[in-house]
This record gives sequence, structure tokens and C-alpha cells, in this order.
Amino acid sequence: MSWAASPPAHVAGSALRRTVRSASGVASLAGAAVIWVALLGPVITLLAHLSWPQVSAALSVPGALDPLAVSVESGAITLGVLLVLGTPLAWTLARGSLPFPRFWEAGVLCSLLLPPLVIGLLLIFMVGPYTPIGELLGHVHLSATNTFLALVIAEVYESAPYYVLGAQAAFAAVEPAIEEQAALLGDRPSRVARRVSLPLAAPGLAMALAVAWARAMGAFGAVVIIAYHPFGIPLQIWTTLQETGLPTALPFALVLLVVALPLPLAAYIWSARARGRRRG
Amino acid sequence: MTAIPRRSARTTIDSLASATGRGRRPWRLPVLAIVCAGLAAAGCSSSSSPSATAVQGTASVAYASSLTFLNEKVAAPAFTKATGYGYTGRGDSSGALEADIAGKEITPNVFEAVGGDNITPLQPKFTKWYIPYAGTQMVVAYNPKSKYASDFKAYADGSKPLKGLFTLMETPGFKLGRTDPNIDPQGRDFIYMLELAQMYYHLPKDTVSKILGTTDTGTSSSSQIFAESSLDATLQSGQLDASSAFITQAVELHLPYIKLPAAINLGDASLASQYAKATVTIKPPGAPKTTKSGSPQVIDITIIGKPTPAGIAFVKYTLSPAGLAQYKRGGFTLITPTVTGDSSAVPSAVRSELGG
Repeated sequence: MSWAASPPAHVAGSALRRTVRSASGVASLAGAAVIWVALLGPVITLLAHLSWPQVSAALSVPGALDPLAVSVESGAITLGVLLVLGTPLAWTLARGSLPFPRFWEAGVLCSLLLPPLVIGLLLIFMVGPYTPIGELLGHVHLSATNTFLALVIAEVYESAPYYVLGAQAAFAAVEPAIEEQAALLGDRPSRVARRVSLPLAAPGLAMALAVAWARAMGAFGAVVIIAYHPFGIPLQIWTTLQETGLPTALPFALVLLVVALPLPLAAYIWSARARGRRRG
Repeated sequence: MTAIPRRSARTTIDSLASATGRGRRPWRLPVLAIVCAGLAAAGCSSSSSPSATAVQGTASVAYASSLTFLNEKVAAPAFTKATGYGYTGRGDSSGALEADIAGKEITPNVFEAVGGDNITPLQPKFTKWYIPYAGTQMVVAYNPKSKYASDFKAYADGSKPLKGLFTLMETPGFKLGRTDPNIDPQGRDFIYMLELAQMYYHLPKDTVSKILGTTDTGTSSSSQIFAESSLDATLQSGQLDASSAFITQAVELHLPYIKLPAAINLGDASLASQYAKATVTIKPPGAPKTTKSGSPQVIDITIIGKPTPAGIAFVKYTLSPAGLAQYKRGGFTLITPTVTGDSSAVPSAVRSELGG
């Protein structure tokens, strides 16, 4: 037996470790691929079951794209409301500047945990025509039932927790020391927020806003209860499915995907690049 | 402040846990208890359920959504208990179910539809027959706390002539709820009922459009229109004065309601030609305009595809005295079950329930 021919023990050990590492790398890759394909499964199925003539026929019916306009308009207003009202809440939550901060956070979490259908049912009690809010709206000839306003309210409720929690995380990731240094250099709080906090939190805020947009575009549970009319895309899909079946409904699912997806994707790419630049 | 060394802190926590009877795995006991209870329950159910020993199979039933409560809460448990077969149900509008069956998107054993006209398009590929066995009727459900509640009560008990109800519903600010005539039969039935009432009571010709708030009676674009699932909830929450309803819904949900005469309530099969005088032109999403006319609200049952033992058992049970009694208790009018279509294709076990 020649000991000289055998590799040293530590060499054999490192080769084994490399093999194990590469095997676990392959296993992780395979696992990731399985999950990715599984997550994309419904989208792949959608594309596999659609043909261009089918999409063209469904979308060329007069008025077929009206719900798209309704969804985009209501989604844009929803984002505006979230930006104006949700950003300060997220900021104060992140900085812990509210009294009883856990109480405020629990409130946001509550609205996240409530199923959208339940939110819709509870909104009837809150903004229905015979509630104080409903009667107040009635005095100015507005109604929060089956109107565009009702649609926006339902979308705000369905998307707000996603935006507030995402924005809170984005603000929390901003190093307080940087803000303190800016303050020490004489910047007023508003200037610190404008010149330091917001730019640093912007990638995270963009992601939060994009997720909120996707939620608003796909909002259905609360919408079907308090805002049956005017139709956005999710209700268009549902009513088409009810009346004329799956083949006519699927093209509208594609429309929803095409409208809802680009903003989150763009926000993700921008956010990833911004993080990369900072690390670099 | 004295810092507690980590080791002694751990020991303290462990000893506290032991002292309170909780070890390092405090979840073990409850989980074991739940598992044991689950196994015991499974053991009990398998010993008490005839399905595990006597028969096997599940009746898959597609039914009009107005039968949801009756099928899911009343008929299904009783059917399973009586026969041992399992049950799965799917409720939707009869038209949507017909489209799903025709498109092979669903493959139920049994189809219960409101109106035979949702079954005939499936003949002869999926079935050759159907059996009408129960009828429902339109009513006006109302909010007992509405400012019009005393009027509603007077119309319901007959102390005020019913004709006035339709004038009341025209009142500006009256909060009326109904469902989408484009996708829901109840939405159309309510409009048929109003048209029939306009004719029956010799009301002004613009009564229907005034009540509906539009001359385009088939439109979905009205603040009166709710999804079927939310209409009852909105009425029950006190946010509407009145809404359309089938009598069965009103009974199941304990909603106060106003009964309507047979001439307008779509509940009398002998008045089919009268009901057909009412029409609605609808424009479903992604489909051309169509004009539909009123018809009696009769529940029909059939078997889809090759009859399975569980499917046959479900139809037989539904048409049995016990099954029909459930419908009667739910507010339906019973109809003597007779076969429409090819009676030779009806399974003999079902035929025997008809007495032939």
C-alpha cells in the first residue's frame, strides 16, 4: 500500500465539501426553479389558453375596455390618497413618534388581516346611505354605494395596509444617524425629510406603492360588495365569467395582468438598481 | 441592577417551566390532544357513517344559487345521513352553470336549474330529460326599520291595496336594491314582475322606468344593482328600504317580505303565457343584445352525463317525500314531479320515485 499515492486527508475533505456544496447548490437551484414555475403556473396556463383572435374578439366588443379606464382612474386616485395620507402615517410609525406605537401598528395589521369580503360587508355599515357618513354624503349629492367614490373607497381599504407597512419598512431602513448629521449641519426637519429621508427611502416607497397599485387593480372582495357599479376589470372578469363563460373572461384577465404588472416590475428594477448603486 | 448570568437565567426559566407543568415543548400536549381528538372523531364518524361501510361515492350537484341554503344546510346533510353517499355542491346562476357544463368546465352528476330553458340547451349531449318538482316566486323584501316600514307592513298584511307599493317605490330617494339583469335571473325576474304589475294594476306606462330609475331596463349601470351576494347583506344592514327576493331567500334569511299575486309573481306554472308578455333586453358582457321573456320560476332536476349511483341517489332523495318536504319548509311550492323529455332515459330508481 502506497501512502504517497493517496491525497492528504485535508485535500480529500475539501473535495468532499466542494461536492456537497455543489450538490446543495444544484438542489437549491432546482427547488427555486420548482417554486418559480409553480408561482408562475397560473400565468403560464393563462397564456397557454389564449389565442390572439380570441383576445382580439373579446376586446373589440364596444365598451369592452371601459372597465380598464375605470380601473386605471380609480387606481390612480387610490395611489394619490395613499401617498398623501399613508406616507405620514408610515413615517411616524417608522420613527416611533406616535404615542402607543404598537397600538397604531396593530390597527394597520388589523386592516391587513381582515378578508376583503369582510371589509366590504363592514363598509356597508360604515358608509351605507342610511349611515351618518352616507347621509352627510347625500347632502352633497354623493353616495358611497355603487358609485365611483365607493370603488375608490374599497380600493383604498384593500391596498392601504400594503402601502403603509411597505413604506414604514422603507423609512425604518434609513439610518437615523444620517438624518441626525443633516440636522446637526443646520437643516430644518422638513429639509431633512425632503433632501435625506425621502430620497433614501424612495426605492422602498416605490415598491410599496407598486404593490398597492397591484392590490388596487385586482381589488374584488370589498368592491363586489359596495361598488358593483361602475365595473373595473376584476368585476368585468367576474360578470363575463358568469354570463358567457371562461373563454370570454380570460382575455380580460390578460388585460388586468398587462395593466397591473408593469408598475411593480419597473419599481422593482429601479429599486434593485438603486440598492446596487448604494452597495457599490 | 444585577445582571443574571445567562446559564442561571436559562435554568431559572426551565425550573419555572417544570414547576408550572410545562416542559421545553409546551405545544406537545395540546397538539397530541388535538391529534388524538381528531383521530377519535374520525373513528367515531367512520363507525357512524354508512358511507364507509355500505356505499361509496359522492354526488356532485350543480344548483341555482337560490338553492344554496337548502342544498348546503338542509338537503346535503340529510341526504348523506339517509343514503351514506357523500355530497359536493356548487351554486351559481342557472345560466352560468349551463354554460360551464356545456363548455365541460364542470362535470356535475346532477343539475338543478331554475327554469327548464337552462337544461334544454344541454340536450341531448348531456341529458335527455328533466323533472320539474318545485316552484318559487318573487316577493318584495323590506327593511323593518325603513321610514316606509309601516307602509310595507300594511301592504304585507293586505290592509293597504298592493297597487300603492309600486307608486311608493317610485318615490325620489327610495332606496331599492336588485341584482344585475345581465347575469342574474333574479335581476330579470324582478323587472318582469314590475312590467306585469304595471299591466295588471293598469299603472302609468312609465311606472317601471320610474321605479328602476332608467328607461334602459336591461342596464347594469344603476346604483340600485348589487351583486347577489351583497344584496341581502345590504338590506339586512338597514341600508336599503326594499329589495327584490325570491320567497325562499326571504324565508331562509328571516327577511320580512310582501307577497305578490300569482298574476305577477312568476310562481304559477299555469300562467306561463301571461308571464311571457314581460320582456327585458339585456346586453351581457362580451355577448350581443338578447331579449328574454318571463317564465314560471320552476326548479328542475336532471342527471348530467352517465348516471352514477350517487347521482341517481341524490335525484331519488330530492324527489322523495322527505326531500320534497324540505322544499316545502323552505317556502317552495311543490309541483307533482313529471318527466319532460325522453322518459325512457330516466334511471328506473328515479322513475320509481315518480310512481312509474
